[in-house]
Amino acid sequence: MARTRFILAWVGVVFIVVMIIFPLYWGVRTALADNYDRRFFPTELTLDNYRFLFMGGRFIDNIKNSMIVSLGSVTATLPLALLGGYALARFDFPGKRFSIVLLVLPLLPAIAVLVALIMYMRMLGLYNTLYAVILANTVFSSPFAVWMVRGFMLSIPREIEEAALIDGCGPLAALFRIAMPLAAPGLIAVSIFVLISAWNNYLFSFAFTTKTPLQVVPAALLGFITSWGTNYGGMNAAATVAMLPPLIFFLAFQKWFVQGMLAGSTK
Amino acid sequence: MPSPSVINSTLPKSVSFSRGKQSRQVVRKYALPYLLLSPTVILLIAFLAVPFFSLFYYGVHKTDLQGVSTYTGLNNFILLINEARFIQNLQATLLYLVGVLTLSLPLAYFAASLISSNMKGVGVLRTIFLIPWVLAPVVTALLFKTMLDPTSGPITMLLKWIFGQPVYLTLSPEGARLVIILHSAWRSFPFEMLLIAAGITSIPVELYEAARVDGANSWKQFRYITLPLTRVQLFSAVLMISVWTIQDAEGVYALTQGGPGYATEVTGVRLFKEAFLYFNISLASSIGIALIVLSIIVMSVYLRILGRGEAA
Repeated sequence: MARTRFILAWVGVVFIVVMIIFPLYWGVRTALADNYDRRFFPTELTLDNYRFLFMGGRFIDNIKNSMIVSLGSVTATLPLALLGGYALARFDFPGKRFSIVLLVLPLLPAIAVLVALIMYMRMLGLYNTLYAVILANTVFSSPFAVWMVRGFMLSIPREIEEAALIDGCGPLAALFRIAMPLAAPGLIAVSIFVLISAWNNYLFSFAFTTKTPLQVVPAALLGFITSWGTNYGGMNAAATVAMLPPLIFFLAFQKWFVQGMLAGSTK
Repeated sequence: MPSPSVINSTLPKSVSFSRGKQSRQVVRKYALPYLLLSPTVILLIAFLAVPFFSLFYYGVHKTDLQGVSTYTGLNNFILLINEARFIQNLQATLLYLVGVLTLSLPLAYFAASLISSNMKGVGVLRTIFLIPWVLAPVVTALLFKTMLDPTSGPITMLLKWIFGQPVYLTLSPEGARLVIILHSAWRSFPFEMLLIAAGITSIPVELYEAARVDGANSWKQFRYITLPLTRVQLFSAVLMISVWTIQDAEGVYALTQGGPGYATEVTGVRLFKEAFLYFNISLASSIGIALIVLSIIVMSVYLRILGRGEAA
């Protein structure tokens, strides 16, 4: 009985692991193999797809744009999340119960609001700039980011801040010099969350920019699909590059990131 | 500036003061949290709430290329409801939603029970299981597209080897629907697993021990202990995955562009095309409103079920 359970568990583990790893393996394989090589484990590998990808600098521009958007979104969202999350965790004030709206907002379809936002960005003169993309990322990540910081702040004992306040420390100093360093793992989790969502996002850039020099990495990926066919080698080479930042940041900060997502998803 | 007002708010009932000072104290007491929250609130009102309402304006107006808009009332909505393609969009969305939940939830429960067990190497497993969740929808969609290519994809070759004849999943309506469901379930199960695992770890081990002593098998333990005690986490997982699946556009668009025909054109993809490819703003706004209504219906249904369960 225990033995069959054990075997069953292992069959399940192998099944899920293969199901997750195989698409990634096939992407790397396609990027590294000759485009006409159909074998499962190609013996001759080539960097031609990568060489072609980085030739001319177009893809490097895409990476630069994606980096500007991701880092810009983190820079804009983090202060909002820190201040807002601190206010929600540490103060009681009239209207506080409406903060639950922050949990509902991420559930509404961003894509619907984008339709109206296009008109806004035109009026503001931000259409066809990366600022519009950064702004949209900030708007759509900040509700969850605020909620995440709130969760982290609640898990820090407030006695330390209270002691500092009684000793004559100002409320802002208490926030920046005591609460902020203690909440550092939470702030890192929020940054990773915003960074990964901004890097992965295609919708905002597609909605607000039409010029090729402003394209981000996901747009470049779709560019490999043409009406004459799909260049799978090039596309997968680009896809493996696009996968790296989320994977690296996720693996490096997994513990805090997961903790933050759970703190933000539940009360 | 040592501020007694903050001490008041953090340490309730500490100081009492005279009436005249009180109103001023109240203003100062709440000034700081409002100030701290104001940037976020202003941003959300300006770029989320206001556009949200102007969506309704665009929905009942027809805007031409010069930007002149004329009031058309519910015309757009009547057009939509009577359009065979839009009905098909809604059906495709429903099938997509049901398919993703049916495939991902059992997988999520299984994976959650694995990573909350005390087997060796559970940490590594959890890391691997979470990978689909952190990758971009466009990236994973294109990885799936590569595997399913009619001439060179390994899945196509595998199916040909199994069935003895070529099976082109992406070229038939049923196959393409299955493909977008598989892709989305693959992407969704890690997040569900994370929430459910958080629920499982909070169940006392004694319950399972007692059940085993009473002779309950694995299925009964799952049915009468795990499932009821992870109900809240299950509901949040189902709620979030459902609204995200209903709204999904990126993944499906990258994988099939809504084809073949309109077979996989879910509501999100339709909206994506109307808004960003054809710049048909008033129609797109109406579809957007439909999508919002759909999300709100799903949310309220789940909250109602959860509320009833809580009361019982």
